[in-house]
Amino acid sequence: MSDAPARGEDFIAAGLASLGIEADGAELAVMAAVDQVFGPPIRQLVEFDVSSVAPERDLDLSRAPAPEEG
Amino acid sequence: MSAIDLSLRGQAAAIAAGDADPSQLLDEALARIEERNPALNAIVETFPERSREMLAAAPDGPLHGVPVVIKDEWPLPWRAQRFGSAELPAPTAPAESGPYRALRDAGAVIVGVGNMEELGSGSTGAISVYGPAHNPWDLDRCPGGSSSGPAASVAARLVAGAVGADGLGSVRYPAAYCGLTGLKPTFARAAMEGHHAANWTTTIVSGPLCTDAADCRLLASALFGEALEQADASGLRIGVVRDVPSEDVDPEVRSACEEAIEMLRGETAGSIREIELPDLEMATIAAVLIANSDGLAEITPAQLNGLDPEISLINRGVLKYRMLIPSVAVSHAHRVRTLTRRRLAALLEDVDVIAWPTVPAPAPPLEAPIVELPSGTETADQANVRGGALANLTGTPAITVPVGLSSAGMPIGLQLGSAWGRDELLLDAAEALERANERRWVEARPPLAETEPAAADGS
Repeated sequence: MSDAPARGEDFIAAGLASLGIEADGAELAVMAAVDQVFGPPIRQLVEFDVSSVAPERDLDLSRAPAPEEG
Repeated sequence: MSAIDLSLRGQAAAIAAGDADPSQLLDEALARIEERNPALNAIVETFPERSREMLAAAPDGPLHGVPVVIKDEWPLPWRAQRFGSAELPAPTAPAESGPYRALRDAGAVIVGVGNMEELGSGSTGAISVYGPAHNPWDLDRCPGGSSSGPAASVAARLVAGAVGADGLGSVRYPAAYCGLTGLKPTFARAAMEGHHAANWTTTIVSGPLCTDAADCRLLASALFGEALEQADASGLRIGVVRDVPSEDVDPEVRSACEEAIEMLRGETAGSIREIELPDLEMATIAAVLIANSDGLAEITPAQLNGLDPEISLINRGVLKYRMLIPSVAVSHAHRVRTLTRRRLAALLEDVDVIAWPTVPAPAPPLEAPIVELPSGTETADQANVRGGALANLTGTPAITVPVGLSSAGMPIGLQLGSAWGRDELLLDAAEALERANERRWVEARPPLAETEPAAADGS
């Protein structure tokens, strides 16, 4: 059985405490629910290997990306 | 037909030709709002004297004397934006925002402020400090968000055009839910000054919501500060991605969109090609993280500890959760943005537009904004972002076009996306699709808007 929800709640409580952010029980419940939705794809994103993607210098979102450098 | 029921360009043309009196048109718009808005909650504030002052000073621009609605996302000289919320993280004040100036300089008359999802944080319009706006096609259903009021205003024919904003689909979702045409412009192409996020957002743009593409072209031209020329879309190369945004959708939505794509191909004597855009799920979460982390430098723990209790519980929780987004995830998100932009640029060498449903299911009930998809039941917000996020992540333009009604009588929208700066092509393609279906869906009106307004004398 996955312990992901428990891990998420620990992460939330610890994260809030480290930043000095207060939250009541209802807000914590919302945050736990949000984490159940977004936690898994966030973890997948972090595991997604993008090390070979050269960063886009001088990002200009109004234009197509410049060709990759060298 | 009353002038208020004309299209945006029809109103502009009637005024320019002397066939409509702009003062009378403004009065008609205000009367229409008074008549229909109580059921819709689409407009959260009118200011007749300010509107009359705008009209009195209106230049002979392309929208001279035409009433429009602007979303509660930009300041006006007489009103600070509230962003659908009891409190904004950033300070606000009355001011001349870019969209205000663009509308004013085009001669338009701002007749009201449109409702919106609280803090722009959802795709359904179900939460707002003003209470939710209602979908004119079914008052019990979501109007879409976050530009809920602008969409409901145009669909109910309170006005013929409205200005919304799109940071993660927020023009396109409500336009699709309400049976409208809505354009998310190329990043930074439309007026954006004065938005509280203008200095740091990498996803938000202003955009028009109208009944059809020609009206969107007219309103977008004002927002862009340049005339968007019309061309034909002959030989249109349509790309279709066989992935979640086009596959995990309500069967009626899928059928209507596939039929529309085929009609578009036929009308333009174009072609349809299946294309692959890998790792779309990574692009989606990357867009969500970037949109939710772009502005974190504006927020402090002290602010969050003193949030206005009138902010909804869900958004108080989401605001605080955003502070916990791991930096490693944001770093990956930005690299995925680059990867996706490069892949998309390569694909858009081979096709002109990419087509998939704007939203995977028609507007859900306001009381329970969840949708049934082949993969199961989930919140509309979770489902909608899969089709909407790509354009905001990459900066590309996208348009939603009405292509049908569900068996429950709710609108269905098809989204077309193109390369950077090809906003005009999207409008051309949308017009081609309108021709193909003989304007059946852009001329469809919700029952509420079919009702003739009461005569001024009460007869």
